[in-house]
Amino acid sequence: MRGLFYQLKSVWKDKFCMMSFFLPIVVALALKFIGGIDLSSVAEFHFGVLESDLSDQTIGWLGRYGSVTAYKTQEELTAAINEPSTYMIGVTSDGGSIQTMVSGDELDLFRQTADTLPALYEGRERAAEISVNILERPDMMAGFQNIFIAITLIVAMFMGCTFNAMNMIAEKENGIDLVNQVLPVTQSGYVIQKIFVGFTGGCLSAVLTACCYFRLQWGSAILMLVLIMLSAFIAALIGLFIGKFSESLMVGVVYIKIVMIIFMAVPLVSYLLAAGGLASVLCYFVPSSAAFEGIMNLAASGNPAIAKDLLILMAHCVIWFLLYLSISKWQKKHT
Amino acid sequence: MSWNNFCSLFKKDCQMMIAGKFFLVAFGSLIIYTLFINFGYVHYMNAELYNVYLYDPQGTQQEVSERIHPVASLEELNAVLSADANGVGIDTSSGTPGIVFYYGSEKSDNHRTDYALSLLHQENEYTAKIVGSNTLESKQRKEMCSELLFIEIIAVGFLGIASVLFKEKQMGAIRVHAVLPFKKGLFIMAKLAVFLLSDLIFTVLMTVLNIGFPDAAAILPAVLVQTAILSLIMALMGFGCTMMLKDFRQFSLAYVIIVIFASAPIFLSANTSVKMAWMDLHPFYHVYMGLKNACFGMPVINPVYYICSVCGIVILFLLAQAVFHREMGKEG
Repeated sequence: MRGLFYQLKSVWKDKFCMMSFFLPIVVALALKFIGGIDLSSVAEFHFGVLESDLSDQTIGWLGRYGSVTAYKTQEELTAAINEPSTYMIGVTSDGGSIQTMVSGDELDLFRQTADTLPALYEGRERAAEISVNILERPDMMAGFQNIFIAITLIVAMFMGCTFNAMNMIAEKENGIDLVNQVLPVTQSGYVIQKIFVGFTGGCLSAVLTACCYFRLQWGSAILMLVLIMLSAFIAALIGLFIGKFSESLMVGVVYIKIVMIIFMAVPLVSYLLAAGGLASVLCYFVPSSAAFEGIMNLAASGNPAIAKDLLILMAHCVIWFLLYLSISKWQKKHT
Repeated sequence: MSWNNFCSLFKKDCQMMIAGKFFLVAFGSLIIYTLFINFGYVHYMNAELYNVYLYDPQGTQQEVSERIHPVASLEELNAVLSADANGVGIDTSSGTPGIVFYYGSEKSDNHRTDYALSLLHQENEYTAKIVGSNTLESKQRKEMCSELLFIEIIAVGFLGIASVLFKEKQMGAIRVHAVLPFKKGLFIMAKLAVFLLSDLIFTVLMTVLNIGFPDAAAILPAVLVQTAILSLIMALMGFGCTMMLKDFRQFSLAYVIIVIFASAPIFLSANTSVKMAWMDLHPFYHVYMGLKNACFGMPVINPVYYICSVCGIVILFLLAQAVFHREMGKEG
């Protein structure tokens, strides 16, 4: 028990660990509060026109579709259209009609809009007598926000590996590792302490992150807690591996970076591309895939079915633990 | 004599970086970035204009455009609209066309309505005039390439120099340098040269692999100039921070702050139409735009930018030298 206390104290003093502890919580709070961020100005059209070229009516007509910016010369207009960060469509007058200009590197959406704009201009009177029925659509951002929060939670859960990995590497660098070898600490006691450090860190961070964002029913909350605990346990095991195999802080940071990238990218890519069949089965070899799926299910529905994900996570727990034990045993034999 | 000193310092730094697996990490990132651009980004980033679905039981619309997708029943219309929420439905079952769609935003809804109606009439095919020289793919490649270069140089210059220097600091090698008979500026110079060289090689490989050789050859000189500016600034900042901060942990805090708070607004401002008024005061914004414009074959020609960059690098160098001397004095 006393050992555990010292472990936690040394993590508490480690800025790196504290940072990875609070980062997901801050992100969750930010997502909660700027949830309703208005991205509509990014999605609307931008038109560029020449000063005193189009009539006020035409500019008013363009203004119904998006923002209109006026430029003094043709060169300025061309430069603005070619500017790579925007999708501006240039509009000039052509007798009674209009002409459009694009830079040629736009997404098809904007190129097709430019191609069809003169036809819309020709038919602008027709639009008046048409009945328009606009349906309410479910919040588009909600789906995206669930992805963000799921990834944040994944980071929080699996950041647990930072706590014990950093702790072990620091001990190696300071020579405490050598001291430990002559102290009356058993190998299993040492492993349990280290797992405990990573596990509590990951759990606490993930629970706080989840509390900041979700308002769940009791049943879902318990399932979420189980999910978090299983994931944090796997993270602590992975932290043990990283701590064991990295000989310096820099190498440890690189390993953690690689692990986190894989853990974030695999579930995200398989979700966005809606992978099926063999590919989705292969994804489950990365433990965060199951966790991600579970979180998305919990966030999306009131009646979640995540038994499969929990089972996969448990299998991961057992396999990684046995793997660590057998590697330790093998190393002991060969040193 | 001083050239020999420089060479031996340079050789020592290279060896340290090889031992610290620095080149391995850079090479690994190069492979990941290249795979991402060639097999991910270019293929999945595209968006088509909205689909228009027509339900026309009486066949009132004769000359519809071929871009319209006909549907057989109202149920089918509702089903396709809920699956394709950006789509627009036209329902002519009451005799006159009525438009139905899910709410997007006010201005885009105006456009969706008018666009759908225009498809009910065959118009002459019109193609917008093209005034640029890039295609969508070449633009995406150049854009992603410049962004990843920027991230990598910020990360590598800053973190890399720290990983090498903290080791020397802890081993007491800096104290040894205080008594060695060479100009102290050489120590910083050698470090800068290693990182500059590795960044330049990285840039050459990155541009050639991702933009393609003929295009890359034309823009490479300008891109290398911008890379050199950015690389020197980041390496000098990394040098200064390493000398001032106590250990790698404190440094990692500074690193996160620089990476997140310095680069996030730049990417937002430079790649979307979100423009922030104070952006012009952000020094990295100008360097990033310089790099990006160089990738697009429009190098910065404003001499003020280059004068400011050189002045900035000289000031950073003098500051780095000052903290280096203080560090040696402290330990000596």
